[in-house]
Amino acid sequence: MESILTVKDLAISFNTYAGEVKAIRGVNFELYKGETLAIVGESGSGKSVTTKSIMRLLPKSNSEMKPESQILFDGKDLTKQTDKQMEKIRGKDISMIFQDPMTSLNPTMKIGKQIAEPLLKHQNLSKAQAKARALELLKLVGIPNPEVRINQYPHQFSGGQRQRIVIAVALACNPKVLIADEPTTALDVTIQAQILDLMKDLQKKIDTSIIFITHDLGVVASVADRVAVMYGGRIVEVGTVDEIFYNPKHPYTWGLISSMPSLETDVDELFVIPGSPPDLLNPPKGDAFAARNRFAMAIDFEEEPPMFKVSETHYAATWLLHPDAPYVEPPEAVKKNQEKFNNAQSKGGVY
Amino acid sequence: MSEKLLEIKNLKLHFNRGKKNEVRAVNDISFDIFKGETLGLVGESGCGKSTTGRTIIRLYNATDGEVLFKGENVHNAKNKEKTLEFNRSMQMIFQDPYASLNPRKKIIDIIAEGIDLHGLAKSKEERTKMVHDLLETVGLNRDHAGRYPHEFSGGQRQRIGIARALAVKPEFIIADEPISALDVSIQAQVVNLLKKLQREKGLTYLFIAHDLSMVKYISDRIGVMYFGRLVELTTSEELYKNPLHPYTKSLLSSIPLPDPEHERKRRRIPYNPDDHDYEENENVEMREVNPGHFVLCSEKEFKEMNATASQASTNS
Repeated sequence: MESILTVKDLAISFNTYAGEVKAIRGVNFELYKGETLAIVGESGSGKSVTTKSIMRLLPKSNSEMKPESQILFDGKDLTKQTDKQMEKIRGKDISMIFQDPMTSLNPTMKIGKQIAEPLLKHQNLSKAQAKARALELLKLVGIPNPEVRINQYPHQFSGGQRQRIVIAVALACNPKVLIADEPTTALDVTIQAQILDLMKDLQKKIDTSIIFITHDLGVVASVADRVAVMYGGRIVEVGTVDEIFYNPKHPYTWGLISSMPSLETDVDELFVIPGSPPDLLNPPKGDAFAARNRFAMAIDFEEEPPMFKVSETHYAATWLLHPDAPYVEPPEAVKKNQEKFNNAQSKGGVY
Repeated sequence: MSEKLLEIKNLKLHFNRGKKNEVRAVNDISFDIFKGETLGLVGESGCGKSTTGRTIIRLYNATDGEVLFKGENVHNAKNKEKTLEFNRSMQMIFQDPYASLNPRKKIIDIIAEGIDLHGLAKSKEERTKMVHDLLETVGLNRDHAGRYPHEFSGGQRQRIGIARALAVKPEFIIADEPISALDVSIQAQVVNLLKKLQREKGLTYLFIAHDLSMVKYISDRIGVMYFGRLVELTTSEELYKNPLHPYTKSLLSSIPLPDPEHERKRRRIPYNPDDHDYEENENVEMREVNPGHFVLCSEKEFKEMNATASQASTNS
């Protein structure tokens, strides 16, 4: 598969009064052409910082990217581009959808103008052409009666419609990469379902690659081709959506999956990941998850685990995968999923 | 199921009454809540589920209808004592743990507000001890009493909100989306805590939420709301296995589940309220299709549902 975006050794810290917060500590991943990569993890794990750094949206005043970081896109290293050059990429080749549709549109500007903005900036269209294209985009994202709606202000739209408009703005220049940062978290289930369907649809139509950030595992299962699990500023497990849900290897992924009840869950108590996320001011020595991991071994507190290979597409950073590690039983919910996986594989594979 | 703790009869709440922009947020709904159960209330935003909760506890004064608590109409209590007593037996946990705690008050004063109002502590020492016990009940530390809300994480704040609700020893708690603002792993902690407290103290919950898998997990029965009306009410098992109202079917079909195989097969069913094709003056009301399974329907729909239900039972 052809890779369109490669992130290598990304490391970012924030300078605060308390000291240097190491928010991203060596993130590596690739985004393939036409796929949807979901990034999951709890708040503070670094999902949003990673994607904002790709767009160079982090505040310059207090954030610092380490020199070894590389973001390769289209043969260019984005970290080496000047701000002027980045402006040409942002909104054209890479665009972004934000979580809150209420605040990501300008309340004092008609929506037609907001959709036309990237077109005028990047594609040298005339005003009339841009307006025609904006109308087309409104139709594409399913806003009824676009001829009238194009001259209205954001407050005249509902939350779901506003998110559709934000998507229209993001897709205006047919970007090669679309970053969606929790695009449905602020929406209702029924509206969420519509927006997810719309995104899947549009992805096929304009052939773009999507990075989808969310903490809702249901949404991940619905949209993702591959999944990267983040914890404490690093990616701890990456694999295809089936591998992550049916055959997870990292104890943190186990925790995530078993703490969410499925419709069949009928236990007295849900599985809970004990403790709290690591303090990134002073990242712990060894595996950042060790303190909350009931399967932690002595080495977890000493040395950070490398990415162990599970299959061609599946990697996990846990010492449990080391050949010398003892076998541990994953939690009940995970074992159930594994059975499904094994059954499906023996019947000819899930892929 | 045991005795009725709460009966809601024809409850209505209309905003901007008599004006052009009248909103019928809660439009004639009736249901019972039994002692010791958890009743889930689901629906999309704006369907009136939070307003229902807030009207029951009388944060809004109902436009019409009755709320009976243990058989007594509590909204029209004649004297102040009765009102106080009612306020003590019913408490609420709010959605946003950041907005629902006064940032200028210490935790001890936030939790003890109810204790002070109802004069439950005889001395300052007793008050402090009660707060300490409450903090420990919800899994926090007694040292936390002297701190301010901003020193806590979202999950911890929600625990404080729960401790505050428990302070006056209520029998009934309305939890209005208590976990929506929290991270997945923290959600499980709070849900476990709520379940544990229910077991230990015999509490009754009205659990308002839009995350359906969590509602299914915590609730004994679930009510589905749409546009200010209750459209279906039954046990949580039955609701998922055998949803009858088309809106419920549509709602269930739009929840993504953490199972990729299921997601590949899932097809969304749209809901169009016009499909019912109700005639004017047709009597559309809650009818009991199966024992304990209520659906909002017309006489004609009721017969159809009954026919399919009896067919299903003969088949199985």
